[in-house]
Amino acid sequence: MAPRDGSQERTGTPDTVEKGMATINTLRIGVKAFVEKDGEKRKAEILSIQTKKGQPNYYVHYEEFNKRLDEWVPASRLDLSQEVEWPQPEAPTKKAQKSTAPAPKSAPLPKQTAGQKRPRPSTTAGTSRKGSETPELSTTTGNAAKPARPPLVGGKENRPGSDGSISVVAPELSTDTPKGEESEMDIVDIQDAAAAAKASNPQHQAPFSREEEIEKLRTGGSMTQNQTEISRVRNLGHIQMGAFEMEPWYFSPYPSTFTEADTVYICEFCLSYFDSNQTFTRHRAKCTLLHPPGNEIYRDNSVSFFEIDGRRQRRWCRNLCLLSKLFLDHKTLYYDVDPFLFYCMTTRDEHGCHLVGYFSKEKESAEGYNVACILTLPQYQRKGYGKLLIAFSYELSKREGKLGSPEKPLSDLGLLGYRAYWAETVTDVLLDHEKNSKDGKGSGEISVEEIGALSAMTTNDVLHTLQNLNMLRYSKGQHVIVLTEAVLETKEKAKAKEKAKGLTRRKIEPERLMWKPPVFTASSRTWNW
Amino acid sequence: MTRSTTTAAALGAHARVRTRKLNTRTNLAILRQEDLQDLDDEAQRNVPRIDTGIEKAEESEHHLQAALSASNAAAIGGKVAQIYIPTPDAVPSSIDYEKLYPLMYKQPQSYIRFSSTVEDVAGCPYNMDEEDDAFLKSMNKKKNASTQCSEVVFEEVMNCFEETAQSQQPWAAVDSPPVISYDIIEETMDDYLDYSQKRFTKEIYEHWKTRRLESGNKSLIQNLKFETGADTDDADPYVCFRRREVRQIRKTRGRDAHSAEKLKKLRKELEESRELLAMIKQRELHKREQLEVEKQLFEQRTNLRQIKQNLPDQYKQGDEDILINQKPKKKPLEITQRMPNIQIPRRTDGRSAETDLLLLSEWHAEREREISEAIEEKIRQHEKWNEGFVDLTKAPLTPPSETAIGSTFRTATTEYFLPTPPASVSSEHSGDGGMDFGAVNLNKAESIAVRYASPSYDGPCHSQPSFRRRYGRGGRLLIDRRGMRMSQKENMDTAIADRYKYDDEDDEDDVPRYYVDPFDTESMVFRSRILPGQPTQAQMQAMRAQRDAAIAAAQAASHGNPSMRSARQPGSEG
Repeated sequence: MAPRDGSQERTGTPDTVEKGMATINTLRIGVKAFVEKDGEKRKAEILSIQTKKGQPNYYVHYEEFNKRLDEWVPASRLDLSQEVEWPQPEAPTKKAQKSTAPAPKSAPLPKQTAGQKRPRPSTTAGTSRKGSETPELSTTTGNAAKPARPPLVGGKENRPGSDGSISVVAPELSTDTPKGEESEMDIVDIQDAAAAAKASNPQHQAPFSREEEIEKLRTGGSMTQNQTEISRVRNLGHIQMGAFEMEPWYFSPYPSTFTEADTVYICEFCLSYFDSNQTFTRHRAKCTLLHPPGNEIYRDNSVSFFEIDGRRQRRWCRNLCLLSKLFLDHKTLYYDVDPFLFYCMTTRDEHGCHLVGYFSKEKESAEGYNVACILTLPQYQRKGYGKLLIAFSYELSKREGKLGSPEKPLSDLGLLGYRAYWAETVTDVLLDHEKNSKDGKGSGEISVEEIGALSAMTTNDVLHTLQNLNMLRYSKGQHVIVLTEAVLETKEKAKAKEKAKGLTRRKIEPERLMWKPPVFTASSRTWNW
Repeated sequence: MTRSTTTAAALGAHARVRTRKLNTRTNLAILRQEDLQDLDDEAQRNVPRIDTGIEKAEESEHHLQAALSASNAAAIGGKVAQIYIPTPDAVPSSIDYEKLYPLMYKQPQSYIRFSSTVEDVAGCPYNMDEEDDAFLKSMNKKKNASTQCSEVVFEEVMNCFEETAQSQQPWAAVDSPPVISYDIIEETMDDYLDYSQKRFTKEIYEHWKTRRLESGNKSLIQNLKFETGADTDDADPYVCFRRREVRQIRKTRGRDAHSAEKLKKLRKELEESRELLAMIKQRELHKREQLEVEKQLFEQRTNLRQIKQNLPDQYKQGDEDILINQKPKKKPLEITQRMPNIQIPRRTDGRSAETDLLLLSEWHAEREREISEAIEEKIRQHEKWNEGFVDLTKAPLTPPSETAIGSTFRTATTEYFLPTPPASVSSEHSGDGGMDFGAVNLNKAESIAVRYASPSYDGPCHSQPSFRRRYGRGGRLLIDRRGMRMSQKENMDTAIADRYKYDDEDDEDDVPRYYVDPFDTESMVFRSRILPGQPTQAQMQAMRAQRDAAIAAAQAASHGNPSMRSARQPGSEG
C-alpha cells in the first residue's frame, strides 16, 4: 500500500511539499519518511526522537493508520534511500496573531464542558494547532523559541528557499529578527518534551545525539509545553492489569514519572496505578475491593452491571478514566468526573467482579446522548461484550423513555461496534414486525420513527443504518424497506455461529435490570467540587 | 426530527431521478428482496452518505476504510470476509495472579449495594517501594525479632510523615520549602499513630527525609497533576480533572433564608451530637471511677481478710457483711402472691413478665378510656362538621336549654345523624330548596353588616342569619333558618326581650342593631353549604373563601367606615 498522493488535497493544502534526501542526522520531528511496516514501506511522520544506548529511535505515525499503531522504530527501519518530506513552516500571519494572544485557552473549553470527549478539530482548530501558538522571536523577548513543527492538521509544505537542513529550521519565518547563531540556539521541538520525559533516564544520556543537543539548548529557555504535541506520543510502556498484560494505545495523563517505568501495574479492582511491582504487591496485600464500588443494577448468568456516580466515587472514576484514556483517543480528562455516571460491566468468579468494559453517561445530556465514552478493555475485546455494553446503554434509554445516541466523535472501533449493533437491532425489529403482520397483528408497514421508538434509537441513527444496509429503497413511487438477502444471510450466519459454539447469544434481559433513572438535584449538578 | 428531515431532503435532492422526500413518520412497507420487481437502484445509488460521526481526519484511515467498504460490499450482496481493525493484543501476564488476587469473593444473593470509596477500602495509601524495602530490612537487621518493624507499621509511619507534610506545606510543589522537621511532625503524630508504632518514627524519619531531599521535597506518593492555577496548566497534558466552572445560582432572599435555616439545623444537630458524645464520655469516666473504687474496695477487703486471719481473736460476728457486696433486698412480688403456682419466665429484655399481665381494673380503665376517647372523637368530628353553625347549645351533645329552644327554633326533637355525613346530597334533593331564604335575603339587601375580628363572647347572638340542614323523619331534608331579621337586644331580661321580639320598628337609637349583608361571603357560604347537590370538595373552597372574607372584612373594619356598625359573629374564628 503506497501512500496516496492525494493526501495533500484531502488536508486542504494546495502548496507543493518540500522534498529532499535526508540523512540520519538531518532527520527531525515533523519529517515524513518511508518506514518499513510489516514488510511494506509506508509513509510515516516522525513525532519524537530519542536515543537509546546510543542509537536514535523514532516515534512514527503511519499516514492513514490509526494512532494506536504508532510506534518506536530504530533508524534501520527508516528508508532514507527515498526522498523525505520536510515539515512545513508556520505561516507568519497566523503566528503573529497567535503570539499576541498567547493562549486562547478559553476557546476550546465551552465545547468540552458538554462531554468527555475531545472536541473535533473542526470546532477547535485552535487546540489542534497549538503547536504553532508558541511565541515567536519577533514579538517576544529572549526566551522565545521557534517550534520546528508544522500544524498538525495542515498539510506539510515548505516555502521555497527552505532547504530543510536541521540547522536552519525556520530562519525565513523570523526574517525581521536577527538570524544565525541565536536562532539556531532557539530551535526547539516542543513535541519531544514527552519523549524527553521518557528518554530522560540518566544512563541513556551519555552519548549525545544532535537531537539531545538541541534538547539541551531547549531546556535553557523553555516555554510552555504543548498538550496536543506531547499527548501525541504514548507515554507508558506496558500495562499490567489483572491476569493480563497489554500495550497502551494512546497517551494518558498518569503521573509523569510513570513514563520511566517499564510496566505500569493497575489493580484490577480499585484501578489504582503503580510504577513498581513492589508497591503494587504491597497495595494488593491491603486492598479489599472486589467489585466496582457502586450499586449492582443488573445481573445475569455471565455479567453484572454496576452504576457508579462520578461525584461519589471520585477516586475510582478518575482511575477508570485514566485507564480508559489509554485506549480511547478522543477521550478528554480535561475536566473532572463529577457530572457523569459510569456503568461498568463485570464478569464474576471467585476472585471478584472483573471489569470488562464500561460506558459513561452524562447525568443530564443537553444533546440527548446516552453514552459519552464507551470501552471494552483490550483483554476482553472481540468477545461480544461491546455489543452487550451498547445494548445495555439502549436498555437504560428505554427505561428512561428517551431516544439515545452515542456522543460524537466515535472512534473507528466505536463506529464499527455501533453499526453492528444497529444493524442487528433494526433487522430484529423489522423481522418481528413482519412476523406480527403475518400473524394478523399490525399492518406490515412501519415508519422510521417507529423503528426508533422500539429500539430507543434516534431517527437519524435508524436512517443511517437502513441506508448502510441498503435497505431503504424507492419502488413504485414510494420508499420501501427491503429485507435484503444480505441482511437475512448475516442474521442466519450469526445464528449458526452461536449454535456451533453452543452458546446462546448474550442478551440484556430487561426484567433483570433493577434500575430507576436517577434524579439529581440542581445543586448536585452544579456544585461540582 | 429536523435533522432527520433534512437528511431525507438531501436524499431526495441528490438523486438522479427526483424521488419524493422520505417522511420519517409515514409507514413504509417491509418487503423481501424477491418481492421487488422494479427496484429503482439508480435512485438509491447517488444518495450521499449520512455523516458517520467519526472525525474527518480519521475517516480516511486505511483499516477503517477497509472494514467499512467490506461491510458495504456485504450489504450489496458481495461475498467479503469480515475485516477487523488491527489492535495491539493483550497477552496473559506472568504475574502470580492467584497470589495477588486471592479467592475472596462470595456473591451475595441480592444485588450488591456498595458505597465505600477507594480510600476506604485500599488501606494505608503509602505503599513501600524497593528502596523502602531495602531500608526496612537493614533497619530490622539491627533489632531482635521482637522489636522489628513490620511492613504495615512502616507504611503507616511513612504515611503519617507524608500527610503531615502535605497538610503543613500544601504548596511544597510551588514554593519548595525545606523538608518539614521532626518536631512539627511529632505534634500531629497522635492523630495517625498509636503507641506501638511510634517506636520507629525517629529512625524512619531520617530515611524519609533523605528520600524527600532526593526528590526535591516532592511527595513520595505519585500523584496526578491537578491544576495549580498557573498559566501553564492549560497546555500541560498531564494536568487533568480540572474542576468545572460552577454555574452561578441566582441569589434570592428565599434561598438565603432556606440555606440559613439549613445551616442552623445542621449546627443544632452537630451541637446535639457533640453534647451526646460529651455525656457519653462523662459516663465512661464515671464508669472508670467506679471500677477504680471497686478495685480499691476489693483490695481493702483482701487486707481485712488477711488481718482477720492474722488476728482471729479480734473476730466479730457480722463482719462478713462487709466482705461481700450486699445485694439489695428483693421487693416482694405481687404477682407471686396472687398466682403462686405459676412459674413466671424471665423475659429476655429483663423486664419482669408481670408487666405483661393485665389487671381487671386496668382493663376496665383502659376500656373506659377508649370509650371516652371514641366519644370525644365523635364530638370533635361533630363540631367540625357543624363548624360555622350557631349552636345554641353550649355543648353540642347536651340537650339544648329551654330558653335557647324557645327563642329560635320550633320545639322539634330532631335526631342528629352521628356522625353527620358531609354535604353529599342525593340528586332528588337538588333543585328544590334555597329559594325561600333567598327571598328573605333579598328583602334585607339594603342593610349592611360589617364584621371584624372582634373577640366573641359567650352569650347567644342572633344577629347572624344561620341555616342548618337536618334530616327529619323518613329522611326528609329540613333546612332550618334563623335570625334573618332579628336584632340583638342586649342586657334585657327575657320578658322585655319578648316584648320587643316582633317589634322590628324599634327605634334604633337605643338599641344597637346588627345587620347582616346577605351577600356577605360568609353567609353565602353557609347557604351554599346546605344547598343540596353541593359537591363535597366545594366545602373546602368555601372554608377558604370564608377565611378570606373574614380577613377582608377585618380590613374593611379597620379602615374605619363610621357608618357601618360592627356586627359580631359568634362561632366564627376569624
